[in-house]
Amino acid sequence: MKPIEDFTKRFNASVHLNESFIARKQDRYFLINERLRGLIQEDFFYIGAYLGKVKNGIFFPSFILLAMLAEEKSNKIVVDDKTAWLFICGRDIFKRGVRDVLGSKRKGDYALIVNGNDECLGFGRILHNIGEVRDKNKVVVKNISDLGDFLRREK
Amino acid sequence: MSGKELFVRRYKKLGWVYREVYLKPSIRINTMNADETNVIRRLESQGIVLEKVPFLQNGYCIRKSKFSVGATTEYLLGYYSIQEAAAQIPATLFADLENKTVLDACAAPGGKTVQLADLMQNTGVVIALDIKRQRLTALSNQLERCRVKNTLVHKLDAREASRLGIQFDRILLDVSCSGNYVTDRDWFRRRTLIDVENNARVQRQILEEATKVISANGEIVYSTCSLEPEENELNIDWAIKNLDLEVEEIHCHGEKGLTNVFGKELDSSIRYCRRIWPGQTQGFFVCKLRKRALK
Repeated sequence: MKPIEDFTKRFNASVHLNESFIARKQDRYFLINERLRGLIQEDFFYIGAYLGKVKNGIFFPSFILLAMLAEEKSNKIVVDDKTAWLFICGRDIFKRGVRDVLGSKRKGDYALIVNGNDECLGFGRILHNIGEVRDKNKVVVKNISDLGDFLRREK
Repeated sequence: MSGKELFVRRYKKLGWVYREVYLKPSIRINTMNADETNVIRRLESQGIVLEKVPFLQNGYCIRKSKFSVGATTEYLLGYYSIQEAAAQIPATLFADLENKTVLDACAAPGGKTVQLADLMQNTGVVIALDIKRQRLTALSNQLERCRVKNTLVHKLDAREASRLGIQFDRILLDVSCSGNYVTDRDWFRRRTLIDVENNARVQRQILEEATKVISANGEIVYSTCSLEPEENELNIDWAIKNLDLEVEEIHCHGEKGLTNVFGKELDSSIRYCRRIWPGQTQGFFVCKLRKRALK
């Protein structure tokens, strides 16, 4: 639980997860319901909603968890269509692509990246205090994880 | 006689004339995640030309697209899955799936698992099994992408499903099979009748195991993408005679199952199965089974 809680705090968010409904398989965490809890066995491979995994002490969230965070009050950066697509392709975000910032604009904080439909595309780390950046061609968010990962995993 | 000649001659004896078929890719909208009309509108706005598949509820074939439909934001958000049209049929044959305990016995890579979860609107439970770890990883990725929340995955051979100690309301047996030439251009060169027989034997073992874990009023849907009767009608005939199963009539795309295979007369209820020869879709076979009621 702690890795998940620590991770969500970096977005100034909190998701309310009941520990008794969290299943753990090695370093992977899953959110389950009552029905699944009644059927769980030690040797399962995957269960319920995958939340993420810890690798070398770092928590890697699932896109299900990121979508859950996006439904809560959290740091969010709304980007334009072109930037949204480039972000999914693994690119960082330039100031010119930022449409709106909800929550923190502070350097070093994490923010969810959402498109104009409020769909979470991934997350990144804010590189400069966004409110202070005047140069539209400056990278303001470093891509950490994006939906394009599903395609990269297949390769 | 080459492999191709042998198989083509068999198809002719079964009443079908071989022809080349080129498939258009198909998608299925995941209605648990998105509004169908909205997804179609979004894809069309990107220049993708879709055509509704007449015999499917949420299925569309891609008539034109300048890029892969597996690389759109909507796909990555789990709003739709890429799933061949005939392969979308089996999961739709179950009655009332919501809140049920469902077994997807040969689940990877997960297209039908996601479809089951979608039809169940993420209620109930799907237990998904497969034996290869790499395929389970692909399945897990599908579940995450499509935001499936009601599924429990085990690395387990379908022939050992009873080890789970669960009785299922619905069982999908989309069994590993020999496939068909439409989706594998090397099919005729690679396949022999021995492969077909070996696959048919494993499929019978899976059918037998399914009868141990199906609840009294449960439904089993059996499907393959093989054209070979050994893996289809002949296996179902065997199941009727050996496993106390009966075939239930289904109404879906396809022709009646064959009740005479190479001169062998089969149980007449096999006409209720559906055989899909390649054309609009790949080749496919599907049927619905129930435990015979005690007299």
